[in-house]
Amino acid sequence: MEETAKEFMIEATGVQKVYAAGGLRVRALRGVDLGVRRGEMVAIMGPSGCGKTTLLNVLSGLDDLSDGEVYVDGESIKGMSDRRRTRFRAERMGFIFQSYNLIPVLSAIENIELPLLVAGKKPKKAREWAQDAIEMVGLADQARKRPSEMSGGQQQRITVARSLVNNPAIVWADEPTGALDSETSKGIMDLLVRMNETQQQTFVLVTHDPAVAARAHRTIRMRDGRITSDEANGKGE
Amino acid sequence: MEELFGVPTQQLMWVLLAVFGAAALILGLSALRNRVSFRMAARNLPRRRAQTILVVLGLMLATMLFSASFTTGDTLTNSLRVQALENLGQVDIQVQAEGSGASGQQQFGPTSSERASYFDAEVAGEVRDRLSDESRVAGVAPAAIETVPVTAKGSDLSEPSTDVLGVSESSMEGFDSLTAASGKTLEPSDLGKDEIYLSADAAKGLDVGKGDEIQATFAQKVNTAAAPNAPPDAAAVPGAGPVSLPSELRVAGLYESGANPASSTSMVMPLQRLQERVGEDRINTVLVTHKGPAVEGAAGTDTTIDKLEPLLQENDLKAEPVKRDAIDQADEGGETFTSIFLLFGQFSVASGVLLIFLIFVMLAAERKHELGIARAVGMRRGHLMRMFAFEGALYALLASALGSVAGVGVGWLMVRVIGKAFAGSGFEISFATSPENIVIAFCLGMVLTFAVVLISSWRVSRLNVVRAIRDIPEPDNKGRSVKGVLLALATPLAGAGLVWQGLQAEQTGLYMLGLSLLIVGAALVARVLRVPERISFTVAGMLLLGLWLLPYSFGPSGMTEGIDLFFISGVMIVLAGVWVIIYNSDLLLGTVVALFGWLRGMPPVLRAAVSYPLQNRFRTGMTLAMFSLVVFTIVTMSFINAAFSSIFDDTDRLSGGFDVRADAGYAAPIPDMNEALKDTKGIDENDYTAVGTLTGLSVDAKQKGTDSKPETLFLQGVDGGYTKNVGYGFKSTVPEYDTANEVWTALRTEENTAVISSDLAPSRSDFEVGDGAPTIKLSGFYGDDPTLPDDIYIQVEDPQSGQTRNLRVIGVLEDTAFFAPGVTTSRATVDGIAGSPVPAQSYEFRLRDGVDSGEAAKDLEKAFAKNGLQAVAIEQEIEDGSASQGLFNNLLMGFMGLGLLVGIAALGVIAARSVVERRQQIGMLRALGFQRGQVRLAFLIESSFVALLGIGLGVALGAALSVGIVDSFAEQISGIRYTVPWGTLGVIVGLSYVAALLTTFLPASQASKVYPAEALRYE
Repeated sequence: MEETAKEFMIEATGVQKVYAAGGLRVRALRGVDLGVRRGEMVAIMGPSGCGKTTLLNVLSGLDDLSDGEVYVDGESIKGMSDRRRTRFRAERMGFIFQSYNLIPVLSAIENIELPLLVAGKKPKKAREWAQDAIEMVGLADQARKRPSEMSGGQQQRITVARSLVNNPAIVWADEPTGALDSETSKGIMDLLVRMNETQQQTFVLVTHDPAVAARAHRTIRMRDGRITSDEANGKGE
Repeated sequence: MEELFGVPTQQLMWVLLAVFGAAALILGLSALRNRVSFRMAARNLPRRRAQTILVVLGLMLATMLFSASFTTGDTLTNSLRVQALENLGQVDIQVQAEGSGASGQQQFGPTSSERASYFDAEVAGEVRDRLSDESRVAGVAPAAIETVPVTAKGSDLSEPSTDVLGVSESSMEGFDSLTAASGKTLEPSDLGKDEIYLSADAAKGLDVGKGDEIQATFAQKVNTAAAPNAPPDAAAVPGAGPVSLPSELRVAGLYESGANPASSTSMVMPLQRLQERVGEDRINTVLVTHKGPAVEGAAGTDTTIDKLEPLLQENDLKAEPVKRDAIDQADEGGETFTSIFLLFGQFSVASGVLLIFLIFVMLAAERKHELGIARAVGMRRGHLMRMFAFEGALYALLASALGSVAGVGVGWLMVRVIGKAFAGSGFEISFATSPENIVIAFCLGMVLTFAVVLISSWRVSRLNVVRAIRDIPEPDNKGRSVKGVLLALATPLAGAGLVWQGLQAEQTGLYMLGLSLLIVGAALVARVLRVPERISFTVAGMLLLGLWLLPYSFGPSGMTEGIDLFFISGVMIVLAGVWVIIYNSDLLLGTVVALFGWLRGMPPVLRAAVSYPLQNRFRTGMTLAMFSLVVFTIVTMSFINAAFSSIFDDTDRLSGGFDVRADAGYAAPIPDMNEALKDTKGIDENDYTAVGTLTGLSVDAKQKGTDSKPETLFLQGVDGGYTKNVGYGFKSTVPEYDTANEVWTALRTEENTAVISSDLAPSRSDFEVGDGAPTIKLSGFYGDDPTLPDDIYIQVEDPQSGQTRNLRVIGVLEDTAFFAPGVTTSRATVDGIAGSPVPAQSYEFRLRDGVDSGEAAKDLEKAFAKNGLQAVAIEQEIEDGSASQGLFNNLLMGFMGLGLLVGIAALGVIAARSVVERRQQIGMLRALGFQRGQVRLAFLIESSFVALLGIGLGVALGAALSVGIVDSFAEQISGIRYTVPWGTLGVIVGLSYVAALLTTFLPASQASKVYPAEALRYE
């Protein structure tokens, strides 16, 4: 196990997720086994409703799992209290979503520094780090703008900066280019790949877009709550 | 309540019902023609129950305030009526000699001191004959009423002012019977020669019961052969005629009710026995009663009086419609209370309207997506507007119905507090409410709410379909839409018009409102001209604050100010404060983060908590305005109350330097109080350093040279002992006198001069709020000006003697001259008008330092019990008055504080809505590492921030405006000081903040329970 923990950033075995809604039980995940190595970029693909986002939520601790086990960076997500899991997310994880999920009342720089403040960084230090992150995504001149004053691509870049600012061990991205045109998508993926290569951070991407998936080291395909294929993309390894 | 702001309530109810009916009819017809829209609107209520409850609760507040005001008025009207009718019973009309007061005596201080004149007993028979064919008249009875001092034999207890009702046993049909506590009827015909029935109240005061003996001192007409046991030592009263006749009486029974129209401290004996004791074979009143219950019986009073008119004129008598007058007076009292509550509740109602608007704006925001789709699938704007209006009307209907009923409950609570204010005064609160007033409150609430609903519906119908469906915020056109430009142009124009009108009418309120609108308009124009909003609205806000708060007058001198100024100032100052805060919010955010950012875990929480309200200017501005408006009013009121309370700290200023007041009974007057003090057992004359004697006369008075109708006025006459020692000052005097002392000397030495209380003089600041107007109001000068014209005369005529005099007004007393009401002249002048010396009616005593005024008052009452002297310690009287006034003021502030519910409800509504709106963002914050507690804390801080900002703004603005208000009062009323009511401020801030926190705790907890994965899933 110790050996595995060193090798794998994420290790999931027999993961099941059952939703109960209005007397109806929906088995969203039906026993998923998965391992993601440190510094690896993995893409999860599949048709709508196959359980991609549910898997991402369960792996990241945003959602409880009904059965099975998930280890992230060697720690069991299942056994953590809500408080511990929240802190774990704040310290080790970054998130990117399709609809950016920036806080609309905060400026770009304030959005980026928010995870640092949550993690307990001093405001001054947090601002310095956030400044570096916004420069890294090439939007230093937009720092004081609010999300509503920026384009979709710019907002997603800010989201990327926010997800990376506290140097997380792992970044979860749910359809990071889903709301963007192909050119902007390419720009965002270039950015993510660069971060992955330079910072050696682990990336798990959920996507519909084969072009996005092709940029990852590995593509996992799902259907009906199960992994149907897990193939290397011929890069990285 | 019969009238509201001068409009008969019945009429008002029908007008409002007609407006409501017309609106309901139009809506109903529209619903029939657009059944689908109506069904879509109506189904929202049961389907969104929690929201329906929240909306209805928010909307009902304004209606509740109306209803509570009306219920308070109704209850007070009813209580006053009950009290009046308790004394009057079945008596509708009292026939009396001309010159007697309404109840047969002239009221003077706490006792009744002037005796009603007697007239021929045959008149009663003639009255009966004249009314014999009037079916509504149930009975006519001759009677005599005297007021005498009574002492209990063998004890020191006395009742200085006890009414004695002499009734003719054979004529009492139709009137109430004397009823004992057991329910047994007491018959006057059963009484023995020296026996009486005593009221339970009098028995309690004297501590006597059935079979005990008491002594009553009657004023017996001199040279009357019929008088039994005339005492050899009975003192002759100069010019007054009667002598004192102590009479030993046995209490044959105690009654609870039925001795009408005597007061509750009374006794009853057969008419003939009373006549013997006062040396009369005549009567001094004829009582007339109508059929039917008490209030309804008063109807037809005019017809009865008209029928008696020839007889009355023939015998120089008058018929007083005592019951109808009492009912009218009670109604007027109730209306005054209602008016005061409605007037001071205006800010709360204004806040309530803002809340209604906010609720519908938020409702529209929530439905935006749904309505956008409805438009996309073919619904026209008209459909949308109707649909929203239907839903709003249903909410309004529910809210107004609930609000009008809830207001009755709030009113009930308020009258309980008022009851405490009057505790001990004998005035009992009897709860009442009338269907008319509930209907009026309902209709007012409904019409108000529906008007806001219509405006909101119109706004909703203008939505952009694409933006609505995609939930894209509306672009800010910076006021450069057609509507915005028109508003920017119309506002300063309206302002200029009001300035002109204010100058023409010499009304400060209009003038200042005009100036304010010019500033507001300038800001709107600047925005259209692309001046940054922050600059234009901050500058406008600062200018408005300067205009209203700086201690300079921006208008020409000599303009009049009304209560409207307070309301205009409130709205403008709050608007200015909200602008300055909202447009400089980043500075506030920086300050808050700098102040609390060092606390562990706080920087991200603070940032999230404070950024939302500061970014959402409309909602925050509205909520701030709601809180600030109400807090501002209460704070200003509490400052004014505190300033006025400071008057009570200086009792000398109020009492004129006297310590004890005593009212004399007429049955056994004390001819010379100074002499009496020397010789009376139990009195140390050295304790009394000055004695002022006061007398009075009921006269017909009007200002000379005016065509006003003469009014009955009580003219007070004071002797040298009073004028040499009184310490009252003057706010205005004729040019030849420089000091108060010179005025008092002139009053003593120059006959036909007078001084008046300040309420008789016109004032430049007309802040009267519905309280009793003085009998006569003079004109041609202002009491505020230090110099009084030297040609102001009051023409007085004594209806008894027929003498007429012109009294020259030489001074207007300060407002704090509490115990010198109306018109005061010299005793010699009063005697001259009456044609003979008028006996002393009251005395004022100054005590040696160190003598307790309460003890001195007791000693005086005890020593002069047989004279019916009633003494009170002035300091105690002032303290009691101050306490009652304080309680009433607190109640008024409490009522105004109901408006805080509006602000608190707004915070609750916003917090609940925010949780729904920000669900996804909350999920994101949780994903980023916000703990549940941090999410909850962020919501609580957000609400606290708005609440504290609103409360703080209200307190700061109220305190700032109070400086000017208190200063202007202090210029007119000496003794007023700017005092910070720390305790009241603490209660206002504490209560409103805690309530606001409690309201937002539930939504905040819900926010903390948002599950991140679920929240993020629904994008």
